[in-house]
Amino acid sequence: MPAKPRDTHPTLLALTSSALLLPAYQGARADAPPDFTEIGVSYSKYEEDDTQAGKTFGGSSERYEIDVAQFHLLAPVGDDWSVALDVQWEDMSGASPWFVGLSADGDPNVLMSGASIEDTRTSVSVTTRYYYDRGNTGLNFSYSDEDDYTSNAIALDTAFNSADGMTTYSAAISASSDDINPTQGATPTNTLDDNKDIRSAWIGVSRIISKRAILRFGLSYTYRDGFLTDPYKFNDSRPDERKEWALGGGYRQFFVGGNAALHADYRYFNDDWGIASHTVDLAWYQNIGSSTQLEPYFRYYNQGQADFFSNLVDFSEPYFADDYRLSAFGAITTGLRLRQELGDWTVNLTGERYTTSNDWSTYSGDESPGLVKYWRYSIGVDYAFR
Amino acid sequence: MKALASLLVLACLAGCETAQVQPWERGTLARNEMQWQPDVMEAQIRDHIHYSKEASTGSAGAAGGGCGCN
Repeated sequence: MPAKPRDTHPTLLALTSSALLLPAYQGARADAPPDFTEIGVSYSKYEEDDTQAGKTFGGSSERYEIDVAQFHLLAPVGDDWSVALDVQWEDMSGASPWFVGLSADGDPNVLMSGASIEDTRTSVSVTTRYYYDRGNTGLNFSYSDEDDYTSNAIALDTAFNSADGMTTYSAAISASSDDINPTQGATPTNTLDDNKDIRSAWIGVSRIISKRAILRFGLSYTYRDGFLTDPYKFNDSRPDERKEWALGGGYRQFFVGGNAALHADYRYFNDDWGIASHTVDLAWYQNIGSSTQLEPYFRYYNQGQADFFSNLVDFSEPYFADDYRLSAFGAITTGLRLRQELGDWTVNLTGERYTTSNDWSTYSGDESPGLVKYWRYSIGVDYAFR
Repeated sequence: MKALASLLVLACLAGCETAQVQPWERGTLARNEMQWQPDVMEAQIRDHIHYSKEASTGSAGAAGGGCGCN
């Protein structure tokens, strides 16, 4: 079936001038202000599997359960500006890995934090964007607050189109100041009060390949400075600096005959802690009629371990960690998403499964007993003030 | 060296020859499902979970702030 005009973003159709590359955190999709205001709300349930009995001291243990509510607003302001507001609330409870030790059998077992952790997080992000003839520039401020963590971040991004609109060059910089005040409870923490700063820069370029295909590449550098140790993990001492590089590519192809779009994305990551990873994302957006869309998606993540990761840490070394997130593992995500348009309303339903295994990593390294698996379900409603 | 290689890839991409697609021929590219992020909130929650449970971030924008996520 040919493309239906109703499915086309009117601003983009009117503009049709660029290769449409924009940074991840913003949400705008065009080189001109949106034609109308859009709002959306979403609720998600995130549930981690219990730890495995054979890998946990004291038998299997419950892990995190998180309820997430999101709000999104994107509105035009005058002829050349837009404003976006994103708010996210999280309410989390459960247990987290505390440390890894040897069981009576000599196998690494994880000891969970025991008493259930209760925490809430609120994040607010505001972006103002100015649009000019061949591009746009946005200024973003983000604030995130938890019982034990506060972050303030500012970011500036810009996108500039070539004269023929076939190529878009983009860049972004950000700075963040984060405060860490671990909650004092049943387990000792690695600090009482500390902070860290994050500086990041990104450049990208996208190119229209044909009437139905577009390609992009991006390169980012992030520098973290300050208290990077996990305050709640018993065996955790990390460098106070981290330098990260990430190189990514993306491709979108529309198939007229199948009335569907393919999304393919890849990222290579490398840092000075010795961690490297490859990530592949694939999604198929299948239109069914003019108002229904089904999206099966697949993600493969392949990570190597940090230089200082070990299940049984060596305290004579300056840095050590038994955090499963710094171990070698592979993760597979499979998900299904349904999008239904009902006039100016759109309903989205999502379900996904995330599983991990040391065997799925191509990097060598011991398996952490704390690897996480989870289910996530989301329901969202958007409304367009057309 | 990796950074240099990456920049070369970017430069190559920027200069690559493709047939001109006129503005009035870009209707398909403007479809919602052809966007880099068709749904903002969905992208946000996926990024947030992966940031909390894995050791890698980046490549599609600047990093922004952190969280105390465990």
